[in-house]
Amino acid sequence: MNLFQQLRFERARHTTRRHFLQNCSVGLGGLWLASQGHGATLKKDPANPLMPDLAHFAPKAKRVIYLHMAGSPSQLELFDHKPELTKLDGKECPQEFLEGKQFAFIQGVPKMLGSQFPFHQAGQSGQWISDRLPHFESMIDEVCFIKSMWTDQFNHGPAQLLLHTGSALLGSPSAGSWATYGLGSENANLPGFIVLTSGGKNPDAGKSVWGSGYLPSVYQGVQCRSQGEPVLYLSNPDGVSQALRRRTLDALNDLNQRVATEVGDPETVTRIAQYEMAFRMQIHASDAFDLKQEPEDIHQLYGTAPGQESFANNCLLARRLAERGVRFIQLFDWGWDSHGTSAVDDLKTSFANKCQQVDQPIAALLKDLKQRGLLDETLVVWSGEFGRTPMKENRGGVEGSFVGRDHSPSAYTLWMAGGGVKRGFSYGETDPIGYEAATNKVSAHDFHATLMTLLGFDHKKLTYPYQGLDQRLSNVTKSSRVVKEIIA
Amino acid sequence: MMPRLLRFLAPLPLAIAAAEEPVDFNRDIRPLLNKNCTICHGGVKQAGGVSFLYREEALGKGESGKTVVLPGDPAASELIRRIKSEDPDEKMPPPQDHPHPLSSEQVALLERWIQEGAPWGEHWSFQKPVEPPLPSLANSSWPKAALDRHVLAKIEAEKLSPSPEASPAEWLRRASLDLTGLPPSPEEWEAFQQSHAANPQAAMEAAADRLLASPHFGERWASMWLDLARYSDTFGFEKDPHRDIWPFRDWVIQAFNADMPFDRFTEKQLAGDLLENPEPGDLIASSFHRNTQNNTEGGTDDEEFRMAAVIDRVNTTWTAWNATTFGCIQCHSHPYDPYPHENYYQFLAFFNNSEDVDLDDDFPRTKFADDPAAQKDAVRLEQEIRRLRESLNDEAKSLATSLGDWRPFIATTATSSGPAGKLSPQADGSILASGTNPPTAIYTLSGPTSSFGAIQVDILTKHDDPKTWSERGAVISKLEASLVKPDGSRQAITFKEVVADFLAGPFDPNDAIHDGVPGFGDYPMSRGPRRAWFVPDQSITAADGDQLEIRIHHGAVCNGNNQSCILNRFKISLSADPRLTALLQTPERAARWQQHQSLGQQYAAIPGKMIPVMREREAAATRETRVFIRGNRMTRDAVVQPAIPAIVGGTPGDKRLNRLDMARWLVSESNPLAARVLANRLWAELFGTGIVETQEDFGSSGLPPANQPLLDHLALRLRVHHQWRIKPFLREVVLSASYRQSSKLSAKLAARDPKNQLIARGPRQRLSGEMLRDQALLVSGMLSRKSFGPPVYPPQPEGVWRSVYSGDTWNTSQGEDRYRRGIYTYLKRTSGFPGFLTFDAPTRDVCSPRRISTNTPLQALLTLNDPAHIEFAQAFAKRMSGTTLEERIAHGYRLLTLQDPPAAVIATLSKLHADARIDYEKNPAESAKLAPGPDEAALVLVANTLLNSDIALNR
Repeated sequence: MNLFQQLRFERARHTTRRHFLQNCSVGLGGLWLASQGHGATLKKDPANPLMPDLAHFAPKAKRVIYLHMAGSPSQLELFDHKPELTKLDGKECPQEFLEGKQFAFIQGVPKMLGSQFPFHQAGQSGQWISDRLPHFESMIDEVCFIKSMWTDQFNHGPAQLLLHTGSALLGSPSAGSWATYGLGSENANLPGFIVLTSGGKNPDAGKSVWGSGYLPSVYQGVQCRSQGEPVLYLSNPDGVSQALRRRTLDALNDLNQRVATEVGDPETVTRIAQYEMAFRMQIHASDAFDLKQEPEDIHQLYGTAPGQESFANNCLLARRLAERGVRFIQLFDWGWDSHGTSAVDDLKTSFANKCQQVDQPIAALLKDLKQRGLLDETLVVWSGEFGRTPMKENRGGVEGSFVGRDHSPSAYTLWMAGGGVKRGFSYGETDPIGYEAATNKVSAHDFHATLMTLLGFDHKKLTYPYQGLDQRLSNVTKSSRVVKEIIA
Repeated sequence: MMPRLLRFLAPLPLAIAAAEEPVDFNRDIRPLLNKNCTICHGGVKQAGGVSFLYREEALGKGESGKTVVLPGDPAASELIRRIKSEDPDEKMPPPQDHPHPLSSEQVALLERWIQEGAPWGEHWSFQKPVEPPLPSLANSSWPKAALDRHVLAKIEAEKLSPSPEASPAEWLRRASLDLTGLPPSPEEWEAFQQSHAANPQAAMEAAADRLLASPHFGERWASMWLDLARYSDTFGFEKDPHRDIWPFRDWVIQAFNADMPFDRFTEKQLAGDLLENPEPGDLIASSFHRNTQNNTEGGTDDEEFRMAAVIDRVNTTWTAWNATTFGCIQCHSHPYDPYPHENYYQFLAFFNNSEDVDLDDDFPRTKFADDPAAQKDAVRLEQEIRRLRESLNDEAKSLATSLGDWRPFIATTATSSGPAGKLSPQADGSILASGTNPPTAIYTLSGPTSSFGAIQVDILTKHDDPKTWSERGAVISKLEASLVKPDGSRQAITFKEVVADFLAGPFDPNDAIHDGVPGFGDYPMSRGPRRAWFVPDQSITAADGDQLEIRIHHGAVCNGNNQSCILNRFKISLSADPRLTALLQTPERAARWQQHQSLGQQYAAIPGKMIPVMREREAAATRETRVFIRGNRMTRDAVVQPAIPAIVGGTPGDKRLNRLDMARWLVSESNPLAARVLANRLWAELFGTGIVETQEDFGSSGLPPANQPLLDHLALRLRVHHQWRIKPFLREVVLSASYRQSSKLSAKLAARDPKNQLIARGPRQRLSGEMLRDQALLVSGMLSRKSFGPPVYPPQPEGVWRSVYSGDTWNTSQGEDRYRRGIYTYLKRTSGFPGFLTFDAPTRDVCSPRRISTNTPLQALLTLNDPAHIEFAQAFAKRMSGTTLEERIAHGYRLLTLQDPPAAVIATLSKLHADARIDYEKNPAESAKLAPGPDEAALVLVANTLLNSDIALNR
């Protein structure tokens, strides 16, 4: 069975379940609602809006794991090899690079800054990489780089929003919301879109980066936690065992069934189903988040220690959630904003530490998905929200003793692996100093169009009517193209 | 359930013109054109030179030279030919993008329309509401008010009949929650029952009056308005710091409680600062549009986010008052409705002249006095101080501009203290800065001078074309001058005052002759060239060979304190005229400065909080508003003046309109939208779905009204009869036969009218997040009825607040503040209160015209497991009194629902209690975590179950 057939099968199975519920209880849910969008006919069962849905065509990826390095790591210290820049190290930045540019912190005329770490070619594909990611390097032949990403936002919050929602302003749904809106969830007992954070902070743009915007709130990302209760209010209160919870739900169902019969409000029947799902979620989510179930060799592979909040733990959780059919899993790791104003954001030290924290878990995630046969159908994406300047930051017009780079919207690197993208491939180039995407430029909108394509959608046809427009992830007001060149 | 927003999904069956009835353009044709044609042939694109936005365009010729629509002759109309064509290159809409061609019925309808002369019609909501004739009805005894007649007409037309009247308990609980957000107390229910038995009508009227007069009325209705006002206790964006703006929330509550008419409510919020004699609360009210987000992230362009706030004000005004998707025309003309692109910037000009500029301190702010009695003085002093300061500047400015002998000061040396900074004197006498000049750079100029009376400083823009002005501000923090004698000795010049071309922004020009805070210049963005006069204590006499040395200090930083606001190009001139120096020395002027200082001291002495406020820039400082080409603020086109779109009653005139004129137009008779939008919103609050379901969109892309006579009647009733008073309007609705109906529904009616737009039954809505909390607090006896004041922190799980660069922590409130009504809960934009967000409350990032009710497992987890809800259940269980278990359960059920429980409910809950008690008796340690003994612990579970029951979650 290919993925498309599988989805068809799952849908049929759920439809049967729906009929069962409908016939065995009082008129569950009422109407099927049909959209009148252009071409797409997205039908949603009001009682079960997250039911798995058919894509427009056979998807290459069934699910997405997005690893976002919040703050934006330097492409020039990791993947974008620029020997020319090294030669210019320490020289004053030519005026033409500064004209018409906006910087967050650079003032006047800064100096050029060569890569702080040596680069070499790795894997059979011979892709360039610095020496900061030795574990990841072992998986480089699985990876498809886009080195020509660009954005028009040079601050964290707006840039993160643009990359995840297609708009730099608040109020649009995130990619994960669109994916769950379009495809539903494969696991009725877990949220379809789960977000995990590490680094001690939420991303700069806050919870809006996984918000559902104008889509119904049921499609918003559910922030789960690798420490304590994985989902807010998942655990029964102190003094209430799971058996007692079952009894209270039985009593509650009795009461609600009476109301359903007497009042006839279809919402009551839906509510009964939602309380039952909450009960199942208590069991299944607790199970999914229990890292202690993993064997020692897996912990060694990822470098995980159960009970902590860490990026490594989140990577392992991502695999467990992917196995359980969660549609969109998003990891935010905070602490990548290497301005070089002090030791905490210095490229040579703190950036190197961050690399060390994520290197092994990312490699482990790719390896583990692959050994379980999940990598082919899971798209793993890695990026920051923009790039870093080839100039050394001179905050306040002063040369600091630490080394850092300012925000650079004109070029950054994003990579993908699995889920229908080319293996061991690199797309797009920046100019000789890594300042601007030069060939095969890819915008956030292009990326979204491509992402939707990999998930099996015509990105122009998965739409939702809002404010008089059929809105879409790839932003109906902006131009966008599917980057077919990277699709396997 | 599924979103009510999926508005295209299964609307009520549209009545399509029957064969004998003429085609109605608005009902039959416009939706067809909008859905199939206008996306390419409308306001955004006019493919092939064809547009269907206006009749004259549709009747015109396309680029092909063929007439698109020829009235009376479908066969000669290119529209029909192209729709019917079988050639895929010709067929419309193009088959590759539109897999579903028009149906043969739709084509026939278009043909009939052209045959009948292709009559056009203005979209319904652009036509002013007219009182509809009262319909004749089969059942004339049911209606109690005129609105009921319009409701019943629709019900009868659908061959249905109204539902029976709800029980007194159902009506009272519904009306109490709808009007005050709280269910009735047992005492209120008891009293109502008795009076209802004697005289139902009188009892219901008295109950409605009591509820409308309750101080809790405003707390409930403020929630609705604050969603539109995007009220929040934080700035938004990355750092999302705290903002003191809760006095605005309290003002809204008080306005609803006082039943302030909506026209005054509107004027005060949109232009309270421009009222001739503002009342003490009017400045606070004007904070409505200071609820926009403010981006304090390091390095963000203040102008970009000032403009984002201005755009948000435009869009919010149109969404909240007019339910219009005005944001569409930011980039191009409206795709469906007759709003041209320029309309956007003409309207934006109303909002483009306020003082706020995305600064980290939320400048400008006004004082909210701790003592309400002092508010009047605070407002008066603020105005007097500002007027006096302006008149002091104006007096000197008019003299300065009349001096005719300004001559350029030619600097022979010019250096910057920045190691990599450079100053280059230009041929025109100006000086150009380049290189890296840090925020505290000091420019030193020196050159020969003769005697002079005043120094004129021109701060120039880098570029000359005003269209390109989006330059960073330039501020002189301090200017020092000395005469240097040929022998090297120096004579420092002391300045009396700095006179400015106008006063605007957070700095006072006079601070440019003192140490400390910055003084003169545009900040944080340049609006254009600026001019100031630095006037010495006395005229300066220079001898031959004397040099003048001028030192310009900088220090102002913008964009989150990261970018320096230094002078990029400037020019210095000198005048020998002594009159300006003399004017500033007069005793009259000294006395006025003295008064200015004393007023300032009086103002400072009033204890209070500073809150963000709207403040208009003075006329001379008016910002130019230009059309942004394709909505991009970096590409600017022609200058526009403030104006109201013609389609909604704007008429050209000579007078320059301001925000107050705009606010008055909104609530005037000439605006066809606002009364309908508000009546519809109030209706939706009570009935769950609006008469226009798309509460946010009354344009032709929204849904048409399910019952336009009803909507127009209600709109006129509200605006004309009740003179915009909301309380008598709501009173009429809750006492209407329509509202009194029972909410029970048959499967047939549920299928026929799932959203209850026919009103053939009473409303049944899930409680909002705030109501759920408030109800649980009330029935558990813990509710604090304390009103107003700073936001409170009821329990929320650890670790929910984790904003970057923020030390703010959630310190759970102690004492009664832990149990306040939901409206007083702290609202942080980037991390909302889970108890509300889970139940569909918006994040308040932007104006939210409609909460879409969902039904999810996360809601179940919250009300079942949240420790706060367990605390409610524990207290609720304690309140359930009686001698037997059954009595206690029945009492609890009555507290929550006002009704006696059916025997089966008692049986179910008694069994739950018995089972749980057995469990707890075996497990006393577990039991003790909920209550002192197994019996009580089991009752807590019963209470938790009751609070989660569908009957409790709905009204």
